[in-house]
Amino acid sequence: MMSNLFSVFDPSTSIFSLSLNWLSSTLGLFLFPFSYWLIPSRYLVVFNSIGGTLHKEFKVLLGGSFKPGLTLLFVSLFLYVVFNNFLGLFPYIFTSTSHLSFTLSLSLPLWLALMFYGWLNNTQHMFAHLVPQGTPGVLMPFMVCIETVSNLIRPGTLAVRLCANMIAGHLLMTLMGNTGSGLSTIMVSFLILGQICLLILESAVSIIQGYVFAVLSTLYSSEV
Amino acid sequence: MFVNLNSTRLCSVVQPARIDFHFSSHCWPEKKMESVGMLSRILARSATPRLLAVRSFRTSAPAISSAIAEGPERDTKNFPRQLRPIQPGKVRMGFIPEEWFELFYKKTGVTGPYMFGVSFLTYLCSKEIYIMEHEYYNGLSLAILCIIGVKKLGPSVAAWLDKEVDTYEKAWEQGRVQQLEDLKSAIEAEKKEQWRAEGQSLLFEAKKENIALQLEAAYRERLMNAYAEIKKRLDYQVETQNIDRRISQKHMVNWIVSNVLKSITPQQEKDSLKKCIADLKALSATA
Repeated sequence: MMSNLFSVFDPSTSIFSLSLNWLSSTLGLFLFPFSYWLIPSRYLVVFNSIGGTLHKEFKVLLGGSFKPGLTLLFVSLFLYVVFNNFLGLFPYIFTSTSHLSFTLSLSLPLWLALMFYGWLNNTQHMFAHLVPQGTPGVLMPFMVCIETVSNLIRPGTLAVRLCANMIAGHLLMTLMGNTGSGLSTIMVSFLILGQICLLILESAVSIIQGYVFAVLSTLYSSEV
Repeated sequence: MFVNLNSTRLCSVVQPARIDFHFSSHCWPEKKMESVGMLSRILARSATPRLLAVRSFRTSAPAISSAIAEGPERDTKNFPRQLRPIQPGKVRMGFIPEEWFELFYKKTGVTGPYMFGVSFLTYLCSKEIYIMEHEYYNGLSLAILCIIGVKKLGPSVAAWLDKEVDTYEKAWEQGRVQQLEDLKSAIEAEKKEQWRAEGQSLLFEAKKENIALQLEAAYRERLMNAYAEIKKRLDYQVETQNIDRRISQKHMVNWIVSNVLKSITPQQEKDSLKKCIADLKALSATA
């Protein structure tokens, strides 16, 4: 029963006061294809082509700092976020990525690790990054402040962008769905039509947000 | 109804192929060729040795039974080797397995499962065990979207994916197919070489004849030389005899003439002169 509009986001399925809704994050594991046989199935081809395309993209983004295996982290991050986002569109499946605690747990350790590694090992390089190339001399002090702030809010932006997009989408869906019970049949069909369009948008948003998350993480790691 | 993402469309391949690669190089001996006339099998051949690369591929045969070497402890009766299904399991309405429908057939007939489904859903809705709230409308929209998507995009996506799978499979097959072709062409080449080798005997005959001709020519030349030498010597002898005779003749003539001249007395000379004058007078008188 919905006590308020946001109760759809409440991980309240509980046994012994454990929020079991979070187990929906593991549902993504069921979407992985089997690769027992030598010749791939259609799904495995899709999966491999996605992974391969992402690897190529991230390799280009990483540029000179690419080491073999580095893209594995970011491809897995992408897949995890996309699976969680996409599965959340299905009815009765909890969207883990709509919680700041979840998204922050993804972005903050990543960012912290990059900062620690970068500042401790390549301190001069990190300082140099605070002033972009081509900055006029007068603006340099201000650029340092701006770049510092921009650096510091990176985990926040990563987390909040994903979380906010997911909440917005699901909230709209919930709002639209809630009006359905009081409508006549013709109006319900319009509602369904609207919801279909929204669902298309939401599917695109879920994939794009995952991609943005992964690409930005790649870029941040390439700057270290 | 759904795109059959797990379908494989394969013949039953029993297990992943075990593939061994091993190269063996076999150098054909270099044969010296001399082009003889128009015999094509002896005509110009490259003198480079030929490398025959043999890659042996042990892929499992489609039949389950004897092609695979099983370990002695393997129990294939109770735990048979998995066969990869060509098509996925049959489903009705996109996601409900056929077997669930068939469960009802014995008791209720063909309409049984549908009756059960509809009445169960009606029960859930009427007793408000399942409430059609916002998630229901979300689910409905999603279901409609999925159905439209699968119907419209399904076949083309499936066709493209099948093409990709075929490409992948061909790449694996390619090694085996390539090896078969290599072996076939090696057999052809070997046969050709054997045919060529038979032509060598003709070459030997020709060479023998050649040598015989050369020997004959050398013999005849030497014969001519010997003849010429002997002739030279005999000619020399003949010449010396001729010269000897000529000189002696000349000498004899000179000796006779000198002796005759010596023997002519002055009285004889006068007499002869007188006779001559008398003859001349007689002649001039008659003339």
